[in-house]
Amino acid sequence: MALTCARCGAQNPDGNLYCQACGTALAAAPGVAAASVPGPPPGIPPPVAGPAGYQSPYYTPAPGSAVPAHRTPWTLIIAVVVALIVLMAGGGTALAILGNRGSANPSGGGIADVPSPTPATTPSPVASPTSTSTGPKTESNDALTVAVPTGWTVDNKDAESITLLDPSSDGTVTAASGPSIPPQTAQNNKDTIDSQLKSQYPDTRECPNTSPKSGTFNGASGIAWTLCFTITSGGNSIPAAASLFAGANGSGSVYYVVMVLTSQSNLQNMLNEAKPVMQSVHWKLS
Amino acid sequence: MRCDHCANDVPDGVFCTRCGAHQGTTGEVANPKKREQRYAAHPAEHVAQPSIFTTIFPHLGHSKIHEFRWAFAVGLAGILILYVAGLITAALLVAIFLVPVLYLIYLYEAQVYRDEPAVVLGFTIGGGALIGIVLTVIERIVYNPYPNIGNPLRGAGISVGALLFLGLLWPIVQEVLKPLPALFLPNRGDFPETVDGLVFGIAAGLGFSVAESLVAFSTALVSLPAHLTPGNWIYDLTTLAVFQPLLQGSTTGIIVAAVWRYRRGRLGRLEIGGVAAAVVAHIAFSLGTQLWKDILLSPLVILVWQAVVVGAVLVYIRYLLHHALLEEAAHMGFAETVCSNCHMHIVASGFCPNCGMALTAAPTAVKRARKPRADTPTKAKA
Repeated sequence: MALTCARCGAQNPDGNLYCQACGTALAAAPGVAAASVPGPPPGIPPPVAGPAGYQSPYYTPAPGSAVPAHRTPWTLIIAVVVALIVLMAGGGTALAILGNRGSANPSGGGIADVPSPTPATTPSPVASPTSTSTGPKTESNDALTVAVPTGWTVDNKDAESITLLDPSSDGTVTAASGPSIPPQTAQNNKDTIDSQLKSQYPDTRECPNTSPKSGTFNGASGIAWTLCFTITSGGNSIPAAASLFAGANGSGSVYYVVMVLTSQSNLQNMLNEAKPVMQSVHWKLS
Repeated sequence: MRCDHCANDVPDGVFCTRCGAHQGTTGEVANPKKREQRYAAHPAEHVAQPSIFTTIFPHLGHSKIHEFRWAFAVGLAGILILYVAGLITAALLVAIFLVPVLYLIYLYEAQVYRDEPAVVLGFTIGGGALIGIVLTVIERIVYNPYPNIGNPLRGAGISVGALLFLGLLWPIVQEVLKPLPALFLPNRGDFPETVDGLVFGIAAGLGFSVAESLVAFSTALVSLPAHLTPGNWIYDLTTLAVFQPLLQGSTTGIIVAAVWRYRRGRLGRLEIGGVAAAVVAHIAFSLGTQLWKDILLSPLVILVWQAVVVGAVLVYIRYLLHHALLEEAAHMGFAETVCSNCHMHIVASGFCPNCGMALTAAPTAVKRARKPRADTPTKAKA
């Protein structure tokens, strides 16, 4: 049971004779009673009594000036933290303004100029994975086939998706398709993607000056849009952009997804570079 | 009086000033000598209490701890305000620097570095920061995050390569290299106490943490708009402001403290286990964070996981330090001094007879003000 100090109100562990906060004698503590006060230890004379209300024979409350421990008053500690906040608020804002001024015009134009992966012309899909020796290498799974141009590498492949890494490792193209259970519309699929990316990345949002557009991608109907977010992983914090397409077949039983992912400043270049890959996507499910 | 446990004649008190045992409690506490209900650095707390400030700021007394807690709370409130205002760059910077700045104030307050602040701070915080910069730059070069973002509709799935690198290999590399600056402190012989080693290790870990976070977020700091919708940044900010520095600081602190104990010839199960616990905790923190992200668990779950791991590390530090303080303070001679925890003017050896604090964990100024009593006994002054 805790003992409450009558002088300062501090809670003291059961058994304490004196308040840990102010040194005032506490109410009689069973088991450690004053009866246990014998003579002083060898070589140590009994000290004088302390201030009023305190009668310990061997330790007394230190006068204020006798406590040399504190070099930093609490006001200074709080002031340093407040100064840190103010300084970083000013410095951080200036840093953000200056940093954005420098990257306002990324090479290849802004994101607003980037066409979504909804080609105006219907690209000719790869007929089959049985390509000739002169054509590009292809990768295939149960749901789609995609060309792998020279320099590109297959980063990941499963039954529904294939992800290709560009030659300079600056971005990826992912194409995916598979059954939707229960059936989902293209808008449903878009909403799911938005929700998942928002939960994974701290600031997922539509990139400035972009808006979702309905269209088709190699025969699949759906919606194209562009998201910006910051990837924070493995010592990196990349301001990334993803140009996305989410579609569905007429009954909603099959989904189609394409994502071109790279840094925001590189999106235009990446879309140009990835054009052969995107045009080669051949959906197997309908 | 005669101590119930070491049988020495000692000044009257609730605690034996020689061995620290809690007097008259044989029937109440499982082991009064180990006194696990009275943490040696802050006897009002149980050793198993995962308190941040009484663990990594062990020299601060009862009242000073609260001032640092308030300052930390003010810092967190500042981060929250900046976050709500959409000033994410500023919030990130405050989050990165908050705990390390408080630790610098603590080091100044406790004067752990005594008369050699430049050497100690340079080797611990500076050395840790240097290693943090080098390691994080290497990490950026080696690890490409793009390939781990696959099918956005199904989630990326578990990336084994990323898990092994970020969750297993890299924490081990960090735990091997982070303590080096503190371990090779040139004047380490002047700081023989385990509590010194712990504080130096934590300082090195915090230096590492600042550098790691600054390098990792450098691109975001210069590319984020000055003002943006707050979004989910609060989760990253919480990790940056609280869990990341606490993990990096406390794991390094454990390892350095264990090596300090070894140098004193006191390498036991607790110390060896401490090194293992630090590495395992770092792996658990990083692996769990990466894994939960991969399987799209809520960011809140990730924060809870990080809190659990950090809490466990803090408790381990407390057991290690408690054990070391009980052992090391027992050899101090009698002196007049002031307890930095309860502020009593005491005639004591290794422990405050009133509150039980181990006096080796007192700030340097208090230790220096000790007036030895064995040869020239004088009356205690009120």
